[in-house]
Amino acid sequence: MIANKRTYSAVLVVLALTLLAASRPLLFAEPSAARWRVQLDQVDSGDVNIEPAFKVAIYENLVDELTKTKQFKEVLRSGDRSANGRPDLLILKTIVEAYTPGSETRRAVTTVSGATKLRVRSRLCTSQGQVVMEFVVDGNVRFFGGNLRATHNLARNVAHDIQKTKLPDPTPLVSQK
Amino acid sequence: MIHRIVPSEAIGRILTSLMLLAGTGVAADDHGEANAAASSPTLQVTHILGFEGISSNANGDLSIQGDALRFKKSDGSGAQITIGSIQDVFLGEEDKQVGGVPLALGRVATPFEGGRVIALFSHKKYDTVTLQYLDANGGFHGAIFQLNKGQGRVVKNELVAQGARVTPLEDQARKQATPEAKSDSK
Repeated sequence: MIANKRTYSAVLVVLALTLLAASRPLLFAEPSAARWRVQLDQVDSGDVNIEPAFKVAIYENLVDELTKTKQFKEVLRSGDRSANGRPDLLILKTIVEAYTPGSETRRAVTTVSGATKLRVRSRLCTSQGQVVMEFVVDGNVRFFGGNLRATHNLARNVAHDIQKTKLPDPTPLVSQK
Repeated sequence: MIHRIVPSEAIGRILTSLMLLAGTGVAADDHGEANAAASSPTLQVTHILGFEGISSNANGDLSIQGDALRFKKSDGSGAQITIGSIQDVFLGEEDKQVGGVPLALGRVATPFEGGRVIALFSHKKYDTVTLQYLDANGGFHGAIFQLNKGQGRVVKNELVAQGARVTPLEDQARKQATPEAKSDSK
């Protein structure tokens, strides 16, 4: 009787392990974005008169936020030589479309005015120039915090949008070339 | 009469000694200033973001030592970059509320909208220095430091003197010379 029970539980364990091993590729499959590397281009101010500190802050916050999402194998900076010749490379281009400088003091005094507003167009392209996705994102500071917090909010929104989007597999796009 | 002369002589000697000491002091001060001019100043700054290996909003000392720009936090840790890797330096100005979260909460809690009046007087102007530099792999970095008003120019001049690349002012102006309406366009 005891031997039967033991055999029964051993069979169950083996079955469970077999099922787990079979479903492992499904359970632990990398999302398609995780098969890509991403390189961030420097922020293009376009026709907009934006302070250099804001451009730098957008860029640095984007690096941080995209790294945090763990959506990509690697987040590379503009000009990074290790990106050369990578077939699985996406390039994130950021173009500023609108910028309204705000004032922390005006926000604190009036509540309704003095907001810092940013709007950028983000474009994710392959290294051959094929646009994979494109979206317009806003980042604002309306109440509390310094003006540069708008860049943090913007970068978080860009990362969130990329995370929501299903990226294509790298192989077909690379072989299309 | 003798009693009157002796003290006056003593006073004269004391005055002479004091003058000599003062002269030496002035000379020493001059020497100190000369030394300060030879070595770069160490400035108390706040690292806003971007300097590799340093957390955002960290306070510390920014100094130029040889061909390196060094940021040292108050706990002793720090980071540095070579001045040759700096691609551009920009100066900016920012008006910020002082007191941080405690004062912000205090403003909110003040009755009869008194917080707004407090906010009107509890702000301070700072200089910001924005650096663009390349890492060893050629990757582009940007870093922003917040300094007391007037210190930004000192840092920029020092960096330029040490060989940092800076876009000429007229080029910067050309880059940014667009109508205000465009920046607000949506």
